[in-house]
Amino acid sequence: MAPRPPLPLPGGVLRRHRSVRSVRLLANRAVAEALISVAGLVGQPVRNPSGVDVGRVADVVARWDGAPYPPVTGLVVRIGRRRAFVEITQVAEIAHRGVRLSSARLNLEDFGRREGELTLAADVIDHQMVDVDGVRVIRASDLYLAEVAGTYRLVGADVGLQTLARRLGPARWRAKPTPDRVIDWAAIQPFGGPGTIRLRSPNQELKRMHPSDLADLLEELGRRERQELLDALDPQVAADALEEMHAEELGALLREAPPEQAAALVAGMEPDEAVDALRDLNEEDRTELLEAMPAEDAERLNSLLEFPEGTAGGLMTTLMVTVQGDLTVAQVREQLRDYADRRSDIDAVLVVDDDGSLIDDVSLFELLLAGPDVRLDSLIGPPWPVVVDATAPLRDVVECLIENRSSSLVVVDDTGRPIGRILADDVVDALVPDRGRSHFPRLLS
Amino acid sequence: MTAGKVPEVDVTAPGAPTRRRRRLVVLLAVFGPGLIAANAGNDAGGVLTYASAGAQFAYRTLFAMVLVTIGLVVVQEMSARLGAYTGEGLVSLIREQFPLRVAAFAVTCLVVANIGLVVSEFAGIGAALELFGISRYLSVPLAAVGIWAAVVLGSYRYVERVFLLLSFVFVAYPIAAALGHPDWTKVATQTALPHFVASHDFLLLVVALIGTTITPYMQLYQAAAVADKGNGPTDYPSVRIDAVAGAIFADLVSMCIIVATAAAIGGHGQLASAKEAATALRPAAGANAEHLFAIGLLGASALAAAVVPLSTAYAIAEAVGVERSVSRKFSEAPLFLGLFSAQVAIGAAIALAPGNLVQLLINMQILNGVITPVILTFILVMANRRSLLGDAVNSPRFRLVGTTCVVVIAAMATLVVVETARTWLGLGS
Repeated sequence: MAPRPPLPLPGGVLRRHRSVRSVRLLANRAVAEALISVAGLVGQPVRNPSGVDVGRVADVVARWDGAPYPPVTGLVVRIGRRRAFVEITQVAEIAHRGVRLSSARLNLEDFGRREGELTLAADVIDHQMVDVDGVRVIRASDLYLAEVAGTYRLVGADVGLQTLARRLGPARWRAKPTPDRVIDWAAIQPFGGPGTIRLRSPNQELKRMHPSDLADLLEELGRRERQELLDALDPQVAADALEEMHAEELGALLREAPPEQAAALVAGMEPDEAVDALRDLNEEDRTELLEAMPAEDAERLNSLLEFPEGTAGGLMTTLMVTVQGDLTVAQVREQLRDYADRRSDIDAVLVVDDDGSLIDDVSLFELLLAGPDVRLDSLIGPPWPVVVDATAPLRDVVECLIENRSSSLVVVDDTGRPIGRILADDVVDALVPDRGRSHFPRLLS
Repeated sequence: MTAGKVPEVDVTAPGAPTRRRRRLVVLLAVFGPGLIAANAGNDAGGVLTYASAGAQFAYRTLFAMVLVTIGLVVVQEMSARLGAYTGEGLVSLIREQFPLRVAAFAVTCLVVANIGLVVSEFAGIGAALELFGISRYLSVPLAAVGIWAAVVLGSYRYVERVFLLLSFVFVAYPIAAALGHPDWTKVATQTALPHFVASHDFLLLVVALIGTTITPYMQLYQAAAVADKGNGPTDYPSVRIDAVAGAIFADLVSMCIIVATAAAIGGHGQLASAKEAATALRPAAGANAEHLFAIGLLGASALAAAVVPLSTAYAIAEAVGVERSVSRKFSEAPLFLGLFSAQVAIGAAIALAPGNLVQLLINMQILNGVITPVILTFILVMANRRSLLGDAVNSPRFRLVGTTCVVVIAAMATLVVVETARTWLGLGS
């Protein structure tokens, strides 16, 4: 079979506009001008009020407490061979050229990591984080602090290549901020350092993100960060995002995640997508996931797995709403309420007779127009549903959709009972070559 | 309601290529990343360096190859462990674990070593096609443009299979080694007994052998491929077997190349051309040896000429934290596509420099051999960090073995650098 030319991927075209946005500090010019580079601050002198050097800045400690701009809680100062912690209350001023302490008497304690705190230079700079506005994974080449209403706070992350060059250059370049491409910290979802867990509830905008954007992020993040993001997301949101991931990255994600979590995620996916994901795993991993799942879900997926892939049975989802003809429109609407979170996967309800055989499908549009007391059997009539049986190969399914210009097909068994549906978008997925986006170029990958 | 009738129209196009492809990948995954990574050492540079060893010193480098194999096993195991336990590639790890300047030094070394590799791949393409009577001034630029276009336009994955198939020609080496009547007693004794030749050429060749066998690129590939497949600590036992077995298997093939060449033209002095190297395949292929060799060399070279610059660019783009995908426009992924293009362009350009292609190729392996200890040091330091690997950290005994390997390799590399510098300055022989 001739290889299909690759489809143009949507690239930057599909950036969704987000209208709801929190207030951004960096928009404030006074703040932008008072930026202090964290990378530049490291190695600068710490002086007591009389101007005598007492040590050098080794790191900056900030508290992750869910505030959009984390406050600085102290400095790690290298004094001789010690790494001492200086509380922010003892600091009079942080400037490009160094730190001035507020009292001559220093209350020194050896530095130890505290719960909910991060060392910025060691744990955050050079590590992965998510820019939720740009929907991309970045690595901060520098972080910027600013004094906001008397408190030093982390206000931005720098992703410029220029900034990397500055840090590579001589020491006197390093302290000077080059905010060429700064992202406001409110738009950043950071990840915890080693040993620190759950530093901050996920950025609110992550929750509003489209599943396919989340999928992009999950694909691009490293293993630890990906796991952290996955843990922070609502399981159903995560399962929706997983449906949008490329097969190979999804396989990797499911192998990496703890089996219980992976099983819950797969169970939360659309049955057809879940089956696809399971098929791509090896026997052992697949059995493990199915066993970790609620028996009901496992049974449903197992029965779907029995259909060979590339046939209507392998492609269909078992998610469908079947009703008897004697129900009224109002009753059906009530039933549909249970499917509110699956609204993009349902375009019609199936009307069956007493034996469960398919009579017709009634589209949501028809239901919307009909009066609440109308009985469903009175809505039966053309256009009739397009039906295939479970063994029909993919190309017949495609042909059926093209011929009938319909958006979905009903899959029936030998006796004419509906066993599943195929949506046009699932067929599109099956036809488009799956090109991993962020994949290490392996041989034969 | 219409009957459940399926139209009989013949649609020619839409099968399920993705599915079928995935099946193939699953099948080929039996050759795990370890096997593929280690066998990447048997590329154009590898084959010609091993052939050169056989031609110049007959069986005398075999003992050195045993030591190199031990080194390779140790290093590939550490790389695979880093990949499995952190889920990250080496370059990203280096950026997170070391100060930026130190990391930049490591990345620079890696890029230089990999450009050296790309040069030798294009030299390999040139040498292979010269055997068919095509000038390298024609073949190398065409190959560079072709490979670049195939990767950027996205059709490389299909071409790749053809090249891989071509490179399987080199399985003829073990057969040739068996049929070529080598002096088996000599092979056995010089493999088992410590054996060195105290000469500058021998030292250079051993460093070239190290460079081509323990290429920095292979460690990069090993760690990234393990991490990328989602292999974690629970899968590590099988990952370790794959990495170790891959390294040993690859070196057995390498030693077959040395033996086959030694049996055919051993002791005749330096390898002058690819044509000479091809005579080693005569016992297996008869009069077709030359063309068979050319086909294998072309396949192996072209395969690596795309994968090496591509994965280097990927690893660096990932560590910098910018867009990395061949399906992006240049303006969207300037660093990634720029790095890839620059490596191909520089590699092809240097391969066009006048002079002996085989010698250029071996010099590039020496360059790799000099850089190898730098990258190994980074790997060793990271594999020694409990904060990074937890309980999978190097045990004290392993640490000793690893350190010894790095120190020995570093000592030889330093010797080569010092010797070369002396020659340049006109001080030594």
